[in-house]
Amino acid sequence: MRCALIGNPSVGKSLIFRQLTGVGVEVSNYPGTTVELSRGTSCHGRSRIEVVDLPGVYSLEGESEEEVLVREFLAEEQTDVIVAVLDVTRLERNIYLLLQVAEYHLPLVVVLNMTDEVEQAGLDVDPEALASVLGVEVICTAALHGRNMDLLLPAVLRAEVPRAEVPYDHHLEAAVRSLQKMFGITRQESLAALRQAAPSSGAPGDQSDLQEASSTIATEIESRHRMTVGQIIAANRHNYARRLAEAVLTRQDRSPVPDPDRYLTRAIPGIPLLIAVLLGMLTFVFVVGSFLEDLIVTAMQMYVIDPFLALGFSPLPETIGRAVLVAIQAGMGIAFPFIFIFFILLSILEDTGYMSRAAFLSDDVMHRLGMHGGAIIPMMLGFGCNVPALMGARVLGSRRERLIAAWLISMVPCSARTVVIAGLVGAYLGLVPALSIYGVVVLIILATGIVLSRVAPGEQVGMIMEMAPLRKPQVRMVLSKSWLRLKEFFFIAMPFLLVGSVILGLCQYAGLVEAFEQVVDPISQAVLGLPGFAAAALLFGILRKEMAIETLAILGGTSDIGAFLSGLQIYVFAIVTVLFIPCISTVAVLVREYGSRAALLISGYTVALGIIIGSLITHLLR
Amino acid sequence: MDTTLEEDCLEAILTRGPGTSVSPGDLAADLGVDKQAVAQAVASLVEKGLCRSDDAGVTLTGEGGAAARRVARKHRVLATFFSEMLGMDADSASREACTLEHEISDETIERLHTYIHRPVPPAKRGRRGRWCHQRPDLMDVAEEECVRVTGLRGPARHQRLMDLGILPGERICVKRKLGNSSLVVRVKGCEVAISPEIARMVFVERDA
Repeated sequence: MRCALIGNPSVGKSLIFRQLTGVGVEVSNYPGTTVELSRGTSCHGRSRIEVVDLPGVYSLEGESEEEVLVREFLAEEQTDVIVAVLDVTRLERNIYLLLQVAEYHLPLVVVLNMTDEVEQAGLDVDPEALASVLGVEVICTAALHGRNMDLLLPAVLRAEVPRAEVPYDHHLEAAVRSLQKMFGITRQESLAALRQAAPSSGAPGDQSDLQEASSTIATEIESRHRMTVGQIIAANRHNYARRLAEAVLTRQDRSPVPDPDRYLTRAIPGIPLLIAVLLGMLTFVFVVGSFLEDLIVTAMQMYVIDPFLALGFSPLPETIGRAVLVAIQAGMGIAFPFIFIFFILLSILEDTGYMSRAAFLSDDVMHRLGMHGGAIIPMMLGFGCNVPALMGARVLGSRRERLIAAWLISMVPCSARTVVIAGLVGAYLGLVPALSIYGVVVLIILATGIVLSRVAPGEQVGMIMEMAPLRKPQVRMVLSKSWLRLKEFFFIAMPFLLVGSVILGLCQYAGLVEAFEQVVDPISQAVLGLPGFAAAALLFGILRKEMAIETLAILGGTSDIGAFLSGLQIYVFAIVTVLFIPCISTVAVLVREYGSRAALLISGYTVALGIIIGSLITHLLR
Repeated sequence: MDTTLEEDCLEAILTRGPGTSVSPGDLAADLGVDKQAVAQAVASLVEKGLCRSDDAGVTLTGEGGAAARRVARKHRVLATFFSEMLGMDADSASREACTLEHEISDETIERLHTYIHRPVPPAKRGRRGRWCHQRPDLMDVAEEECVRVTGLRGPARHQRLMDLGILPGERICVKRKLGNSSLVVRVKGCEVAISPEIARMVFVERDA
């Protein structure tokens, strides 16, 4: 038997899911999307129940990734029972979704979650009011405290099909009945046909008789009401939802609760607080990350790489083996100290609900860059690793905004670039020059964004984001979300890292690198003030940014970079590495998500940028 | 008046679907009048050649369809005028239109139609000016002020706004307004942050 959890975002579905399934959870990306659903199993008595946690949605009829996924899931996979999880503190809007779910006529169990919060506010919850209208079981829970969770599975096993009769506008009802009679379809199909066939929906028709008939009727209804069919349906559902909500909760307005948003969303102190939080996060990761990275890299060197080299294989296998191990060392040195820690901090922020406040406060700035407030999360992710950040940019509504976001994200200094800044500039020139590089990069990103927002074609769709309720972050949720993003680094970025490293090793073995150095030396000296082998290191930095340092050490003959490069040269090398072309995994994701032309544009732009800035600095400061 | 009921019947049959057969009983239910009156009106329509009678009920002839569409258009123009230019809510606008559509002449409707669709010169930026001459939207509302939604402009993003409860007739409060940019609004007990261009799509009015 399979049961699916459906509900608004942030109602506590995932918590309920974990409490039901515990061990044996598989979190998967639905093919082709970054939206995930989780599957697990639960047992009650002698029955095994597969539980599926579907992503949070506000309705089942929109076109966002989550809504499409839920619709397709219900259509393609055999679902025996639906468990609708409602947040009792936002009951009216949650019932709006419940009514749509009920219209699917699958056996249903309704869970009213967060009843502890309403009771604290002095309100009475009457589940019977809802249960008697719908004809299904309604359970009051407080999932955080585990209240009534044990009633859930037995209810699932005896779930009934709901009676769902939303009283729609009489014109609509007449049209629905008429279509039902003409084509022998269900009430739900009839409603869907009217909504989609209406000229306002903009959906392409399928030329069937049903579509033609619905189209004509829908046009009539829309012209009479001066409202789209979709609006009429939504309005009717909301009205009915309000009646039901009023029956369930005996007093709708809550007594005043201390509201942190008084401070968080006001310009002062909201904006300074936001800047402090973000800077604090980045500084923490920079300092702690560098320290841990050092430990990991040294440990791997001592316990894995040196012993391997001591085994004394013949040159070719040794080169390849070394390349692989160095790649793993570099990857580990970045993944855990920087990326994982950064993602954990970011997930904590997201889980507390603070990020929606951040999005609200940054909406104005983001607009000047051609995007909207919702872009702040993917941009922040970019500081960890560009790959999951680019995936996260899908939340933006229009292609123009996604493209601008992708462009700017590719320029955000990710962990790999941070390693270069810390390991080169931080180590040999000090903290202030290191931070200055970040300053330069941020200014350039802002400038690029402003230019792009004027030049990029397409429409700008604004932000509509619910302010998630402020609550304590939960350890398991934070860990699982961070792990999901880290996985994208491991499964997409790491393979490139390994392959790139091997290619570099082979090139070196074949003497190609030396040849390249000699050719490039005069050019790189003139333009960037860097010796040929540094230019080679730059180039190989395309394969993996942090390998630029590795390569520099190898080609220079010693790990003490300061021995063969001057302070200015180190600074120029670092800034060019940070600015110019994103690493190859990022480029691969760009190609996949935005096409080769966009990827080429962005790469070309960043290469030119890196060389020009590097050149400017060299010639100005020499 | 006789023709009033007849025209209502034509409209009702058209709404049910051109080419569908509607029984007099259903018509009576749709219009909320008794079957006798409907039967008389239908008989008259058949006589005039606007309807055809068969076993299942009545259908529109070609002429009848044209007549029905004329009446429906009058309804539409009137309803648009009342709701968009006078700011009445959709239900009242529709009801008034239902009454007036039978008496108003074709010429008046044409002039009304032209008036509604003529290009409106952009109003000056002053806040008082906007409130008086153009339909006010969410951006004209101050912090801590509550208003009622009267309409949504443009097809984009309608679905998400509607799902969150931002619909004509709904009460909405502005909880926070940053400078002249993003808003946090409170609707149906939930708080939603929206960009200014989205706020401009939501038409509102102050409660009387």
